[in-house]
Amino acid sequence: MKLTRLLILLVFLAIATQTFAAKRLSIYTVNYPLAYFAERIGGDQVTVTFPAPEDVDPAYWMPDQKTITAYQQADLILLNGANYAKWVDKVSLPRSKMVDTSSKFKDRYVNISEATTHTHGASGAHAHESLAFTTWLDFSLARLQAESIYIALARKRPMAEMAFKRNFQALADDLERLDTRIRAIVARDPGRALLGSHPVYDYLKHGYGMNLRSVHWEPDQAPSMSQWNDLKQILEEHRAEVMLWEGEPLADSASRLKEKGLGSKVFSPCGNRPEDGDFLSVMQQNATNLEQAFR
Amino acid sequence: MNSLYLAWQYIRFNKFKTIILVASITLIAVLPLSLEILLAESERQLLNRAESTPLLIGAKGSALDLAMNSLYFDDEVPELLTMAAADRVYDTDLALPIPLYVRFQTRGHPIVGTTFDYFDFRKLKIAKGQPLTMLGDCVLGAKVAAELELGPGDSLVSSPENLFDLAGVYPLKMKVVGVLTPNHSADDLAVFVDIKTAWIIQGLGHGHQDVTRTRDSSVILKRSEGNVAANAKLFHYTEITDENLDGFHFHGDTSIYPVSAVIAVPYDDKSGTLLRGRYLEGDESQQIILPAEVIDGLLQNIFRIRNVLDAVIALVGLATLLAIVLVFTLSLRLRQREIQTIFKLGCRKATISRMMMAEIVLILMFCAVLSSAALGVIDSNAEELVRRLFIG
Amino acid sequence: MISIQNLQFHYPNSEFRLTVPEFAVSPGEKIAVVGPSGSGKTTLLNLLAGILTPKQGKVRVGEVAVSDLGDAGRRDFRISNIGFVFQDFELLDYLSILDNILHPYRITGALKLTSEVRQRAISLTEQMGIAEHLKKHPGKLSQGEKQRAAICRALLPNPDLILADEATGNLDPANKTRILDLLFKSVVDHDATLVAVTHDHELLPRFDRVVDFSDFQQGSGSEDTEETISPPPTPDPQPPTPNPQASP
Repeated sequence: MKLTRLLILLVFLAIATQTFAAKRLSIYTVNYPLAYFAERIGGDQVTVTFPAPEDVDPAYWMPDQKTITAYQQADLILLNGANYAKWVDKVSLPRSKMVDTSSKFKDRYVNISEATTHTHGASGAHAHESLAFTTWLDFSLARLQAESIYIALARKRPMAEMAFKRNFQALADDLERLDTRIRAIVARDPGRALLGSHPVYDYLKHGYGMNLRSVHWEPDQAPSMSQWNDLKQILEEHRAEVMLWEGEPLADSASRLKEKGLGSKVFSPCGNRPEDGDFLSVMQQNATNLEQAFR
Repeated sequence: MNSLYLAWQYIRFNKFKTIILVASITLIAVLPLSLEILLAESERQLLNRAESTPLLIGAKGSALDLAMNSLYFDDEVPELLTMAAADRVYDTDLALPIPLYVRFQTRGHPIVGTTFDYFDFRKLKIAKGQPLTMLGDCVLGAKVAAELELGPGDSLVSSPENLFDLAGVYPLKMKVVGVLTPNHSADDLAVFVDIKTAWIIQGLGHGHQDVTRTRDSSVILKRSEGNVAANAKLFHYTEITDENLDGFHFHGDTSIYPVSAVIAVPYDDKSGTLLRGRYLEGDESQQIILPAEVIDGLLQNIFRIRNVLDAVIALVGLATLLAIVLVFTLSLRLRQREIQTIFKLGCRKATISRMMMAEIVLILMFCAVLSSAALGVIDSNAEELVRRLFIG
Repeated sequence: MISIQNLQFHYPNSEFRLTVPEFAVSPGEKIAVVGPSGSGKTTLLNLLAGILTPKQGKVRVGEVAVSDLGDAGRRDFRISNIGFVFQDFELLDYLSILDNILHPYRITGALKLTSEVRQRAISLTEQMGIAEHLKKHPGKLSQGEKQRAAICRALLPNPDLILADEATGNLDPANKTRILDLLFKSVVDHDATLVAVTHDHELLPRFDRVVDFSDFQQGSGSEDTEETISPPPTPDPQPPTPNPQASP
């Protein structure tokens, strides 16, 4: 009788443990890079959700009420910081679950030089339009963001800390390799003038000391006459030979640029999920394209 | 039995005198006891709320004002802090900060600006609708919803701070998205918004058309390199909708935005002690209090006052009892003839005494029944009475 | 029925003296006691009822030496054997007429209130012509009706002796006669003896005998006309005229 009871108890404990162990942490993120980091670090202990549709820029996306409720109910909410995902300021999220992955390097935030802010009255405070937010393009900062995620996961599930640590180390190594590679590329010609088709390369620029200026073009839209004129004026002071694009530009735009002596290379910020590959493969391709831009 | 019968007939016949006697005695009995019940209930409620709040951080000043405003949403707004105080707690990694901004009102009820964590902390559940999600949403306490007859889908406008409010605290039309289940605390009487919504009510955040892209030059004061200064003509939205939500923003660094207090929920006892230690510096501009201690101190003062009240009631009671004794004595004197008559008829003195006592017994019985009923009613409604009379 | 021998009575701290060498009433007799105010008429009734005890002498009612009984004995004897009818009726305002009539049965253990007693009370009221007022309070009745109710109360225990102290004193002439008729009839019907103190000289011829009380009083004091049992009455300043002989 006693033995039977003991057996039943053991079976019950086993089931309970299994159940507990099977329950994954629910992680919600505001962009794809953080989702990638969380997946790499969390492994099978986490379920990562990045709910923005694939065809939107997550920085300007506004989730609906149902999605916001899903964020509220997650175990962890990974934020990019640097004023990324402006919708975060417009909703109610539990701070106890929020992780600002860039909180440790707020002093390295970059202001967008070409941004236009507004004030009320002649001496009012500015609105927060002027921070650049693609922090992960500086891979040393991306590593710090990954580390924040590791710390948050370890705190949430101490039993799996060793696994998280191993996974984080592997990711950190990958990011460090990328960092080293980009530094080496830029070091070949530190003053090489480059153009960015969109003001998303500020962290790349500041992190690696690139001589880069940006315009405001979209890869899938033909630039207007005034945009071509602005470009012309910029080229008079900034003699770039390559324009970095967020995505593959229109053939016409590329050829017109070529006529002006500007090549086109894709350096995808990868804010959203890529069609092919993952964050690492996209960045490695970016590095390769950059290498070509520095030839 | 005969004595009781005769006493009952006498009482019935002299209704007016009986009612006054019964009312007086009942009042003397009920007053101190009901006061005791209400004070005990006050103590329970106040302490309960205070004990469930581990630590409270506020600007240096009255700890009592801080506690009363933060725990019970009292009208008296303490000296304000900034959001940096909450960030400071967060950065210590010792406690979860829950900022509170309890300053504004709507239709006589306090608007509590806070964060989503508050609801888990206070174990507040949604009875109808959903929790806060967007800016401009509000969730009603159970009693607020019942009193104002509002529910999800309705709207509520914040009240101006004073009649000639020119400082930007303009009425904001809030959307009711949910109603909480009754919590039997001050939360039932509050309207909850995200703290950012409270800042919008204050005018620190607002929504308007994008002035960096507008073609309407009449709203532009000045354009300069990298900045557009708008003038007062620029219309600010008074309601946050799905259509204009994107236009809402805050100016400056939100870490300097005001809060009235920060609830700090330590991760463990050691963390709580360590956190308290960080506020002991002499030049510290903030204070950290244990609400239970502050409220307990308040209650000690109340108990002191209660002693005075008890003494006053005792004196009044004594005076009333003396008056009642006088009434009985005069009544006896008035009934002297009756007593002589029945004595002449053959009634014993003991029987006469029994008859007089029976009248007193009956009156006391009525008083006991009335007192019990009154105290029963007070006891069963003590929670509600205390909230309305003392806590509000 | 009544026998008094060598009775002497005085109130404490009073100069009033009552001396009755001999006083006797036969069973069934209807005696009127007359005399000036303060002459001791009410005192005599109180002595007969055992409310007061003589300093000297004996008071016998029937076979019982009332003056020899203790307080409790005298009370029990009084309530069971003596009916009192007062000048001011002495009905209790807060009791109904029926309850007033039944009152003696509620204030002593010597009388038991049974349904038979209740029936008798109702029957008495029918005889007195006040049966329709049973549930009313005395305030709603006329003087005559009140006195009839008082008579019912006095008669209900079937007393052997009825003492009436100015029973018609507060009534108008028509009612005086009517009440006296009723009283006399009741006394006859109940085989009782009546000793009535009265000032109404027109009524005297209807009694079997008239006793002039001015013969009994001695000393300079007088009884208090108010019914004060405790404390004792205050003395009257007029000097009494003693007459020890009372002729039946």
